[in-house]
Amino acid sequence: MFERVWRMMVKEFLQVLRNPRMVGVIFVAPMIQLVVFGYAATTDVRRVTTAVRDLDNTPESRELVERFVRSGYFLVAERAGDDARVRWLLDRGQAQLALCLDEGFGADLRGGRTARLQLIVDGTDSNTAAVVLGYAGRITGDYSGQVLAEGLARAAGAWQPPGGVELRARSWFNENLESRNFYVPGVVATITMLVTLILTSMAVVREREIGTMEQLMVTPISAAEFIAGKTLPFALIGVGDAVLIVLVGTLWFGVPLRGSLVLLFGSLLVFLTVALGVGLFISTLCQTQQQAMMSTFFFFFPAILLSGFMFPIANMPEPVQWLTYLDPLRYFLVIIRGVFLKGAGLAVLWPQIAALGVMGAAVFTLAAGRIRKTLA
Amino acid sequence: MPEARPPGASPAVSARELSKRFGDFVAVDRVSFEVAPGEIFGFLGPNGAGKSTTIRMLCGILSPSGGAGTVAGCDVGREPEKIKARIGYMSQKFSLYEDLTVEENIDFYSGIYRIPRGRKRQRKEWAIRMAGLAEHRRTRTAVLSGGWKQRLALGCAVLHEPPVVFLDEPTSGVDPLSRRRFWDLIYEMAGSGTAVFVTTHYLDEAEHCDRLGLIYRGELIALGGPAELKTRLMREQVVEVLCDRPAEALEAVAAVPGVREVALYGAGLHALVGDAEAAAPALGARLAAAGFRPGRIERIAPSLEDVFVSLIEERDRAGGAVPEVER
Amino acid sequence: MSLRRLWAVARKEFLHVRRDARSLGMGIAMPVLLLCLFGWALTLDVDRVPLVVWDQCGSQSSRDLAAELAGSRYFALRGRAGSYAEIERAIDRREALGALVIPPDFDRRLWTGRGAPVQLIVDGSDANTATIASGYAQAAVRGYSQGVVLREIRRAGLRPPAPPLDPRARVWFNEDLTGRNYIIPGLIAVIMMVIAALLTALTVAREWERGTMEQLVSTPLKGPELVLGKLLPYFAIGMFDVLLAVLMGAFLFGVPMRGSLALLFAMAAVFLAGALSLGMLFSIVTRSQLLASQMAMVLTFLPAFLLSGLMYAIPNMPAGIRAVTYLVPARYFVHLLRGIYLKGVGLEVLAPEAALLAAFSAAMIALAMRKFRKKLT
Repeated sequence: MFERVWRMMVKEFLQVLRNPRMVGVIFVAPMIQLVVFGYAATTDVRRVTTAVRDLDNTPESRELVERFVRSGYFLVAERAGDDARVRWLLDRGQAQLALCLDEGFGADLRGGRTARLQLIVDGTDSNTAAVVLGYAGRITGDYSGQVLAEGLARAAGAWQPPGGVELRARSWFNENLESRNFYVPGVVATITMLVTLILTSMAVVREREIGTMEQLMVTPISAAEFIAGKTLPFALIGVGDAVLIVLVGTLWFGVPLRGSLVLLFGSLLVFLTVALGVGLFISTLCQTQQQAMMSTFFFFFPAILLSGFMFPIANMPEPVQWLTYLDPLRYFLVIIRGVFLKGAGLAVLWPQIAALGVMGAAVFTLAAGRIRKTLA
Repeated sequence: MPEARPPGASPAVSARELSKRFGDFVAVDRVSFEVAPGEIFGFLGPNGAGKSTTIRMLCGILSPSGGAGTVAGCDVGREPEKIKARIGYMSQKFSLYEDLTVEENIDFYSGIYRIPRGRKRQRKEWAIRMAGLAEHRRTRTAVLSGGWKQRLALGCAVLHEPPVVFLDEPTSGVDPLSRRRFWDLIYEMAGSGTAVFVTTHYLDEAEHCDRLGLIYRGELIALGGPAELKTRLMREQVVEVLCDRPAEALEAVAAVPGVREVALYGAGLHALVGDAEAAAPALGARLAAAGFRPGRIERIAPSLEDVFVSLIEERDRAGGAVPEVER
Repeated sequence: MSLRRLWAVARKEFLHVRRDARSLGMGIAMPVLLLCLFGWALTLDVDRVPLVVWDQCGSQSSRDLAAELAGSRYFALRGRAGSYAEIERAIDRREALGALVIPPDFDRRLWTGRGAPVQLIVDGSDANTATIASGYAQAAVRGYSQGVVLREIRRAGLRPPAPPLDPRARVWFNEDLTGRNYIIPGLIAVIMMVIAALLTALTVAREWERGTMEQLVSTPLKGPELVLGKLLPYFAIGMFDVLLAVLMGAFLFGVPMRGSLALLFAMAAVFLAGALSLGMLFSIVTRSQLLASQMAMVLTFLPAFLLSGLMYAIPNMPAGIRAVTYLVPARYFVHLLRGIYLKGVGLEVLAPEAALLAAFSAAMIALAMRKFRKKLT
C-alpha cells in the first residue's frame, strides 16, 4: 500500500515540477505577495502632501508651518497664493491637506485672542484622512497648549494651573507599528492556502480531464491511497512555501519571530488538512482544470477578505463576524500572528488549533467520501 | 451547385515540393500532387506521417517551410486568406461547439461564411436534412453521437458550397454505418464538381477514392488510383494461406525460401512471394511436414493494405529504422 | 471588416457565457458579492476599540479621564484590570485591543502643576488600528486636559483665556470619513479586472485547446473580427456590472455621486475595453487557458486590487513601488472614479488621467488584434 502511495506521490511531483505553469504558481505567487504586502500594503501615513496658504506671514504663522514640517509626516507641496489654487490642488489630488492661515493670525495669537486657522483634509481616503486629522490635531494642540501655558504664566502670576495630562502610547508586539509586521506573517497563511488549494484541486481534475482517472479507477488503488497520493505531495509543497516565506519574512523583512517554530509548523500541518480537504472537495465539483481554477478563486477571494488578513474582523457587522467562524484562514491568522509577534504558546492558541482540527477532519471526510464514490 | 469542369481544366488543388519542418523534424518532405475538380483524393498514411500537416498547409492555416501550392486558384504561401473563402475544412476534432445547439452551430458558420440572406434558410435546412438531425434542431451537440456530429460538422463546413473541401480524418471514431453514409455524402459532393481531399488511415476507405497518395514519414511514396497501385507497384505477389492454427504456422511459412514477408490476415496468412506459381506447392508441403493441415493456398489480388505494407517495409529497409515521433 | 462575421462571433460567445453557470457567476455574482462585502462588512475605519482600564489612582479625576475615553465612539470599555498580567491576558485573548493605565500619582501630579502622564498600551500587531486608536486617544486626553485647565481657571476667578488656536478642520469630499465612500467607487475598477482576468483571459485559449479555433482560422473570419466579436458579450457584462455598482452604491450604500454619470460610464467603457483586451491578449499569446488565467490574475487583477490606490494609499508606499504603480492602468481609473464620485469634478480636472486611459485601451485593443494569428504555430 505504501508502495502505491509512494508511486502516486512521485508521479504527482514529476507532473507538477515539469509543468512550468505550476512552478510559477508555487514560486512566483509567494514572491509577489511578499513584495506587495511587505512593501506596498501599508496604512502608515507618511509624506502627506500639504498645501500652505499663509496670508499672514508672521513669525507665529511660520512657526506653525514649521511644526508641521518638523513632525516628519507632512511635506509642503506648494505654497498656494489663494483659495482657488487650494481648491485646484485638492481637486486634482495634488494636495491631501491644506493649511490656511489668514492675515491677522499672528497678531491674534500675540494679543491673547483666538487665532483661527483652517485645515482642509481630502476625505476621499477616509483612513488616511483620519490619521492626518489626528496628526494635525496633535500639532495644533501642542502649539496651542504651549501658547496657553505661556500666556497663563504671564497672566496668572503665582497661580499654578493644573498640569496637563500627557498620553504616552506604548505599542506591544510591534513597537514601531510597522504595517509589514502585520501583513507578512499573514502572507504565510494566505500563500500556503492558495498554493495547496490550487495544486490539489487541479491535480485531481486534470486526471479527470485527460481521461487517466478512468484508468486509475480500474486499478486496485483504494480511495485512501488515491487521496494520500494526491494530497501529500502538495502538503509538502505547501510546507516548503511556508518555510520560504518564513525565511524571507524574518531575514529580509526583519519581522520578529518570537514564538515556537514547532508550534508554527505543527499548526501549519493542521491548517493544511483543511486546505487540502477544500481543494479535494472543489475538485469533485469540476470537470475541467479551468473550472477548478475559477471555483478556487470564488472560494479563496472572499475567504481572504473575511479572514482578518486585511480588514479587522472586529469592525465587521455581527452576522458577518459569525460567518467568519467558517473561514479556516481566520483561525490560522490568529495563530500565525500570535506566534510571530506575541510569542504566544499552546496555552493561548489551543482553541484555534482545535477549531482547525475539527474543520480539517470534517472537510476531509466529506471530500474523501465524494472521491470514494467516483472511484467505487 | 458548381458545375463539373471539363477535363484539362486547371487543378483544384496542386502541391509542388511542399515541405514543413518543425525544428529538426521534417514533417512533410517535398510532397507534390494534383487534385482535379470533382475528384476524390485520398491521403493515406499511418499516424504521424504528415497527413494533417499537409492539409493544414493547403488550407492556409500553417505556413509551408518550402515548396508551393495552389488551392482553388490561390497561392498557398501568399494568399492564404483568399483560399479560406473558397474551401471547406473539417478538422480532426470535428470542431463543433459542444454547448451550442445544432441550429446555433449552423447559424454561426452561416454568419462566418456570410451566406446571403436569400440562401441562408435553404442551406440551413439542407445541412439539417443531410445530417438527419431534423428532430434534433435544438439539441446541444455535446449529446449527439459521433456519426451525427460528423455529418453536422461536414454540413457546417460546406454551407457556402466551396469548390474544394478538405476533410481531416473525418471518420475516426465513428461507427461503420455512419461511415458508409458519410462516404455517400462525399460521393454526392464530388459528383457535383467539388474536389474532395480526404485524409484517412482506414485502408478500406481508401478504396473509395478516385486517386490516392500514400504518405509515410513525410514522404509521398505512392500516387495513383487504387487499382493502379495494386497492380503497378507491387513487385511481389500475394499468396493466401489457409490452415489450422495460423498463428503458430507463421514461423514455418516464413522459413520457406522465396517468401519475403508473411503476416496474419483474417483467419489465415498472407505471404508475399516473388513467384506465386512456384511458392504455393512449396508452402503446402512445408506446412504438412510441420504437422499442420493446409487448406487453400492460392494467389490473390493484393489489397491496399498489402501494397502499403510492402512499400513501407521497402522504405524501412532502405532508410533504416527511424523512431516514430509523436506530434 | 465584416459586421456580419463579427456579429456571428459575438452571438456565439454570448450563448457560451449564458450557458456556463460558473462564468456567469464570476461575471455577476462575484461583483455583487464584492460590493456587498465592501459596502457592509469590510472597512479599515476604526470604531469601538475594546479597551480595559487599570486605574491605579482611583480619584475623581482619574475616573473622569477614563470615562472621557470610554465615552467616545471610538472606544468601548470592556472591563477593568488590576495588573499588567491581567492586561496581557486580555490582549492575548483578544478581549481588548488596548489598555489605559493611570498611575497612582496621577491626581497629585495633575493638581500640583506637574505633567501627569498616563499610559496607553495598544496591541501593535494590527498596526493600522493601533495607530488610529492612539490618535483618537491622544485627542480625547487633550480634550480632557484642556477641560481641566479651563475649569480651574474659572474657579480661580480668572478670566479663562480664549484658546489660542482654533483649528477649523474641514473634510472635503467625504465629510463623514466613511470608508465605504472611499472603497466602493474604486471597486468598480477591480470588478472589471475580475471579468478581464477570469473570463476573457480564457476565451481564445479555450478554443485553441478544444480545437474549434483550428476550424475558425480556416474560414474567412478575420482576426480583428474575432477579437472584437469575443469582446462584446464581456463588455456588456462589464457595463452591466458598472450599472449594478452605481445603483447599489447609490441606493444601498448611500455613496454620494456628485459628478457626471455620463462621464463615469464613458470612462468605465474606455477602461473596460482596455482591460478586456489585455485579458484577451494573454489568451491569444499563450493559447493555454491555465497560463492565461494565471498571468491575468497576477498582472491585472492583483495590481488592480492592491496597487491601484484602492486598498492602500499610493503616497504611503515606498518610492520603488510607487514608481511601479504608474504602470497600473487601474490606478488612473480609480483616481477618475473617486474624482467623479466624491469630488464632483469633470474632464477639466481629470483630463490627463482620462487621456492616459484612452491611450492604454486603444493600445491594448490594437495589440490584441495584431497578435492574433490565423495560423497554427
